[in-house]
Amino acid sequence: MADAIKAENRKGFLVDTSRCIGCRSCQVACKQWNKMAADKTVEQGSYENPRDLTPALYNRIRFLEVGEEPGGVNWLFLNERCMHCGEAGCMKVCPSPGALYRTKEGVVAYNKEKCISCKYCVSACPFNVPRYDSDDKVSKCHLCLDRLSGGMPPACAKACPTGTLKFGKRSDLIADAQATGKQLYGVNDLGGLGVVYALEGPPERYGLPATPHIPLSIFLWKDVIKPLGILGFWGSIGAMLLHYVTIGPKKIDEAPEKEERHE
Amino acid sequence: MSNYIERFTAGERVLHWIVTASFFTLLLSGLGLFSRLFNGYFTLFGGGGNAIMVHKIAGIVFFFSSLYMFLKHRRDVSTFDEDDRRWIEQRGGYLSREEAHFNIGKYNPGQKLFAIFIAAATLILGVTGLFIWAPTLFPRWIVQLSLMIHGLMFVGTVMFVVVHVYLATIGNPGTIEAMLYGDVRSMWAKRHHPKWYKEASGENP
Amino acid sequence: MTNHWIDLKNSDVILIMGANPAENHPVSFRWIMKAKDAGAKLICVDPRFTRSASKADVYAPLRSGTDIAFLGGMISYILQNNLYFEEYVRNYTNASYLVNPGFKMPGDLNGLFSGYDPKKRSYDPKAWSFQKNADESVKKDPTLQDPNCVFQLLKRHYSRYTPDMVSRITGTPKEKLLEVYKLYASTGKPDKAGTSMYAMGWTQHTVGTQNIRTMTIIQLLLGNIGIAGGGVNALRGESNVQGSTDHGLLFHILPGYLPVPSADLKDLAAYNEKYTPKSKDPQSANWWQNRPKYITSYLKAIYGAKATKENDFGYAWLPKLDPGMNGSWLMIFDNMIKGKFNGFFAWGQNPACSGTNSTKVRNALAKLDWMVTVNLFDNETASFWKGPGMEPAQVKTEVFLLPAAASFEKEGSISNSGRWAQWRTAAVKPLGQSKADAEIIHELYQKLKALYVKEGGALPEQLTNLTWNYGFKRADGTIRAIDTHLVAKEINGSFLEDVEDKPKLKPGEKPPPTPPPWAPRKLLGKKGELAAGFAQLQADGTTSCGNWIYCQSYNEKGNMMARRVKKDPTGLGLFPEWSWAWPVNRRIIYNRASCDPNGKPYNMKKAVVYWNPNAVLPDGKLGAWVGDVPDGPWPPMANEKEGKKPFIMRADGLAAIFGAGMKDGPFPEHYEPMESPLAKNPMSGQMSNPAAKNFSGTGIKEDAFAANDGKFPLVATTYRVTEHWQTGVMTRNTPWLLELQPRLFVELSPELAKEKSIKNGDMVEVSSARGKVDAVAMVTRRMQPFKIGDKVVHQIGLPYCFGWSTPGVGDAANLLTPTAGDANTMIPETKAFMAAIQRKG
Ligand code: HEM
Ligand code: SF4
Ligand code: SF4
Ligand code: SF4
Repeated sequence: MADAIKAENRKGFLVDTSRCIGCRSCQVACKQWNKMAADKTVEQGSYENPRDLTPALYNRIRFLEVGEEPGGVNWLFLNERCMHCGEAGCMKVCPSPGALYRTKEGVVAYNKEKCISCKYCVSACPFNVPRYDSDDKVSKCHLCLDRLSGGMPPACAKACPTGTLKFGKRSDLIADAQATGKQLYGVNDLGGLGVVYALEGPPERYGLPATPHIPLSIFLWKDVIKPLGILGFWGSIGAMLLHYVTIGPKKIDEAPEKEERHE
Repeated sequence: MSNYIERFTAGERVLHWIVTASFFTLLLSGLGLFSRLFNGYFTLFGGGGNAIMVHKIAGIVFFFSSLYMFLKHRRDVSTFDEDDRRWIEQRGGYLSREEAHFNIGKYNPGQKLFAIFIAAATLILGVTGLFIWAPTLFPRWIVQLSLMIHGLMFVGTVMFVVVHVYLATIGNPGTIEAMLYGDVRSMWAKRHHPKWYKEASGENP
Repeated sequence: MTNHWIDLKNSDVILIMGANPAENHPVSFRWIMKAKDAGAKLICVDPRFTRSASKADVYAPLRSGTDIAFLGGMISYILQNNLYFEEYVRNYTNASYLVNPGFKMPGDLNGLFSGYDPKKRSYDPKAWSFQKNADESVKKDPTLQDPNCVFQLLKRHYSRYTPDMVSRITGTPKEKLLEVYKLYASTGKPDKAGTSMYAMGWTQHTVGTQNIRTMTIIQLLLGNIGIAGGGVNALRGESNVQGSTDHGLLFHILPGYLPVPSADLKDLAAYNEKYTPKSKDPQSANWWQNRPKYITSYLKAIYGAKATKENDFGYAWLPKLDPGMNGSWLMIFDNMIKGKFNGFFAWGQNPACSGTNSTKVRNALAKLDWMVTVNLFDNETASFWKGPGMEPAQVKTEVFLLPAAASFEKEGSISNSGRWAQWRTAAVKPLGQSKADAEIIHELYQKLKALYVKEGGALPEQLTNLTWNYGFKRADGTIRAIDTHLVAKEINGSFLEDVEDKPKLKPGEKPPPTPPPWAPRKLLGKKGELAAGFAQLQADGTTSCGNWIYCQSYNEKGNMMARRVKKDPTGLGLFPEWSWAWPVNRRIIYNRASCDPNGKPYNMKKAVVYWNPNAVLPDGKLGAWVGDVPDGPWPPMANEKEGKKPFIMRADGLAAIFGAGMKDGPFPEHYEPMESPLAKNPMSGQMSNPAAKNFSGTGIKEDAFAANDGKFPLVATTYRVTEHWQTGVMTRNTPWLLELQPRLFVELSPELAKEKSIKNGDMVEVSSARGKVDAVAMVTRRMQPFKIGDKVVHQIGLPYCFGWSTPGVGDAANLLTPTAGDANTMIPETKAFMAAIQRKG
C-alpha cells in the first residue's frame, strides 16, 4: 500500500447497492452538513440530477435503467463518491504537500488552503471524482472528517434509511459482507478502496471500471518519467562537466595553424 | 580583414534572451509541479498557486517567442548538406581531444537539430500545457496523456538546454559573444563555421 | 396501519400495491430490507416500474384503476386452490353468516347488487341483510357449505375473476398474475405473515374504499390480521395526518372517530341511540357500546363546567350537519364555485394545486369574498388571483396570508401511520412573525369570542362556552401563550370528581348492598387526576376527555408520548416504552386474532400475545394475556363464559368479509374508473361505480369528462416523488430538493413516444378534458403499454408536486384530474383518468 494505512485503523463505507432505493437522502444530507449551495439543474428526462458530481456535490446517485429480459427493465442506483483509495491517484500527483493527505483512518482528506489549483488530481483519479470550486480549489468527499472527530458517522451514512451506506471499520464491513456471500468490489483494487461496494452483477453493469487502476499515462508520468527525469537533469550536467574536464573545450586560438586539416 | 564579424542582429539577440528568460522562468516555476521533491522552488514565487500563474504567463511568452525564433532561423537550420553528414558521423569531433575540422555553414547540424527539437518541443509543450491548463474542458484521456508528454518534453528540453548552454559557453569559448554583442571573432568563425565565414565576409578563410 | 412501521420486518411476503414506499415512505424500507434479510419476498404491483419496484422480487404492472380486478383474481385463486386459513376464517370472520336468500350479486344482476336505486344512485342495505334466528342473532353455517353463507357467496362472486378475465382488464400478463397470487397466497399458512402496504394509489379512486376492502378480505382469508408482520397498512402521506384524522380533521367525525351529529338527532340520547351498537352476544365485547362515555367526556372536555347533565352536556352547542349532508373536499369546492361560501380558511393546505381539477378550485376561490391562508410559504392558493388565466382586477377575493411556524419550531405530538404519538420539542424558534398554528387559532378565538360577546349572533355559546384552559391565565381570563402540554392533558382527559370504582355487573347480577357512608371508598380516580385509560371514562359527566383513543397518552405517570426507552421484550419491534400508541399503547391491533381460540399463538416464533392461564392477577383471578397490550383483558373466545371474540370494535366481534356497511356493495366489484379507455366494462354491463357521485351534467363548465374518447386515449395517473412533498410548497422552496427534481415531467413508454414522435427530454403538452400542462417527456422502459383485450392502452404518469408559483417548474398536474369521488369517502379519483400528449413546438 502506497502510504501505509494501518488496516486496523482504516475506516470506510460498504455500499450495498441491493439495498439502495435511490431516495438521495445521502445526497441532500451531505449538502446540508457541508452547507453547500444547491446546484442549478434542468429536467432532461431522468431522475438523475445533477448529472455529475459538482464542486458542491460530493456524492450522488446514478440512476441506471438496465434492460433485463425482453420487455423487462430494472433500475439500479449507484452511490457515486470519492473512494478514498488505498493508492490514491489524486494524492500521487498532487504537487502540494498537505493539500491532499491521508488521515489515520485512511481518509483521503484535503486542505483547501494548501491546494494550488493545479487540477492534476482531476486527471489522476481513476473514478473522476475531484471537482474545483469557484476559488479553483479541490473539493470532494472528505468522509466527514469533522463529524468523525466528534465521534459521529458521516452525514450521508447517518441519513441513509436502508442501510445501503454502512460506515465503520473497513475490515469488519468487508468480513460481514463476505459472510453473507455478497459480491464485493474494491477490496483489493488500488490498495483497497475505502468505499467497498456490494454489487448485484458485474461492475460494468454499474458503469464502474472492472479493474480500477491509476491511468497508465499518469503512472508513466509519475513513476517513470519523474525519477528518470531527475536522473537526466543531473546526468546531463554531470556529462557536460565530465566533457569539460576530460575532452575539454574547443579553443579557438590554435585554429589558424590547423586550418588546412579540414580542407 | 576585421577581427570581428557580425553573427546576430540586436533583434535576434533580444529574442533569444526573451526565450531564455521565459524558459528559465518556466523551469523554475515548473520544478515544483514536476515533483514534490522540488517543492521548495515554489517559495521563489510565493507559493504554488503563484508559481502556476507565473508558469502560465511564461509559457505564453516562451511559446510565441520560441516559435518566432525558429521561424526567423528556419532557413538556416532546416537544410543539411554533405559536410553536415560528415559532422554527424564524427559527432562534431566532440568525443575526442583530437582536433576536428568541418566545413560548416552558419550552424552545425547539432545546432540545427537543437533548434528543430526546441521548436517541436515548444509546440508540444504548449499544446499539452493548454490541455493541462483547463483539464475539465477536454476529455480525460487527452489531459492524462498531456500530463505525461509535458513532463517528458520538459525533461528532454532541459537536458538539451544543459548541453546547449555548455556548448555555447565554456564548451566553445568565444561563442557566447555572438549572443552578447552580436559580433564573433573571425578566428572563431573560421574555426567553427568556415563556410558561413566565407559567405558572410566574402573572404576565403 | 393495523400494525406499525417496524413490524414490516416480521413479514414473510410484503405486497406493495397502491403505494410507492421507496419514494414516499423511504424509511419504511429500513424495515422492508430487514424483512428481506430474513428471507421475505417483496411484491410490487404498479402501473409504473418505481423505485419500490426496483427492490421487488416480483414486479407486476397493471393499468391504473383495475386493482379490484387484480385482487379479486387473488381471492378467487385462494378459494379455488384452498389456500385460505380455514380455522381463522371460520372463527374470526363473518364467513359463516347466512345472507338472506333474495340477495343477488353482480354476476346475476349485470354488475349490480340487490337493492340498487338508479334514481338515487344508491343502495338500500336492507337488501344485504343476514338471516336471523328467533333471538335476533344471525344464522350461521360453521361448515361454510350453505350456498347462502358469506363464504359461498364470496366464492361465487369471485369465480368470475378468472386469470384470463383479470388479465384482460388489468393488462397484467397472466403468468405475472399467477406468480403474484401464488407467492402471496403462501402466507395463508398459520405461521406465515403477509402484509399489505397501500396509500393513495388505492384510495384515490371512485372505488377507493373497495380497493382496500378487497385486500382486507384477502388478509382475512389468509389469517393475516392481528399478527406480527401482517395487517392492512395505510401509509399516511403526511407526518401527522394520522393525528389530524384522529383529532377530527374530517367533516363527519369528531375527535376519536365519534360521528359528527346531524341536525335530526335532537338530543344526546338520540345521538347515543343511533351510534351505540348493541349486541346480545355475551362473547362480543362490542367496544363501541361505550360510545356514550366518550361523547359525554368529549363534551365535558370542550365545555367544562358549562356542560351539565341538565343541558345534555352542551350537546346542543355542537355543530351539526344537515341530515345526509356531505361536506367533503369535492363538495366544498362544488359549493364554493356555486357561490355558496363567503369566506374560506386554507390552513396548511394548497388546494389550488392539490385539489383535483384545480381549475375548478381556482375559479371557486375567485367566488369568495375573503380567504385566509395559513402557510409557511406563498403558494398557488394564496396567490391564485394572479395565477395563469386569472385577471387580478376581476378577482374580488381578499386574501390574507398568515405566516405559520414549521413543525420543527413548535412542541407537540406527531402521530405516525403506526398510530404512535411521538412527542417532539421545538428545535428552533419560529422565524420572523410566523406563529404556531395553536397560537394563531388562539388569537382568532379570542377575537371571535370578544365579537360574539359584544354583538351576539347565532348560537354564540358554541364558542363562548369553550373551556380554553390552554395556558396560564391572566386576571382577565386571557392566556399569554398556549401551553401544548395542557392541550395534551385535555386530550388525555381527567377526573372532574372523585369517581368510585364500582364493580361491573353481569346481566342479571344483583348490585351489592350500598356500603355504609363511613366505609372507605375505593376510588377509580380522584378529582383533578388525569385518567389512566379510557376504561375509566364515564357517561355521567364525572370525567372529561378530548379524544378517548388518546386517553392514557398523558397521565399521572407523565407524558407517555415523550418516552424514549429502547426496550423490545418480544423481539418483534413493539418497543412498548418508546412513545405511545393509540389505543392504550397497543402496537398491533386485533392482536387476539393472532392466537387460536384457546389463546395459543398461531406462530409461536412471532407471538404478539398469548394467553397464560396460570398467571395470577392482583384480584386473585387466574389467566392473563402476555405480550403486546391485548384487545381487552378477557380470556380467549374458547372460554364460553368470559371469553370474547377478537374484533372488539365490531358489534358482533367478527371481521367482516361481507361488508354490509358499504355504500357500493358488500363485496368489492370491478368497475372502470369514471374516465376509462374502454367502451365497456369487460366484467359487466355496469361501467363505473353505480354509487359514486356523478358530477357530470351539473352545468359547471369545469366539470368536463372524457370517457372512452378518442381525443384523450391515454390512461394517466398522478403521484409523488421522494424529492418533493405533497404539492411541493415546502420542498420547492428548498433549493437542495428542487435541484434533484427541477420541474414537471411526464413518464411515458418508448412505444408511445415513438407513436407521438417524442424524444426523451422534449417539452410536451399533456391535456385532459379539463386542462393542460407543459411537462418534460421522460421516455422510459419503466413504463409499458398494456394489452387490454385486443386493444393497446398506453399509460402515462405525472407528479403533482409542482405549481406555477415557483418560477420555471411547470403548473399543477391536478389541472388534469377529474371531479369524481369514491362512493364511500368522496376522495377524488386522481389516480386514473384519461389524457392526451403532444410534442410542443
Ligand atoms: C543561459 C542560457 C543560454 C545561453 C548562454 C545561450 C546561448 C546561446 C548562444 C551563444 C547561441 C548562439 C549559438 C551560435 O551562435 O551558434 C544560442 C542560440 C540559440 N539558443 Fe540559446 N542560450 C541559452 C538558453 C537557451 C534556451 C533556454 C533556449 C530554448 C529553449 C535557447 C535556444 C536557442 C536557439 C534555438 C538558438 C539558435 C540556434 C542554435 O544555436 O541552435 N537558448 N544560444
Ligand atoms: S477516488 Fe479519486 S479522489 Fe478519491 S481517493 Fe481515489 S483517486 Fe483520490
Ligand atoms: S462522507 Fe461526508 S463529505 Fe463525504 S459524501 Fe458523505 S456526507 Fe458528503
Ligand atoms: S440514502 Fe441510502 S437508500 Fe437513499 S439513495 Fe442514498 S444510498 Fe440509496
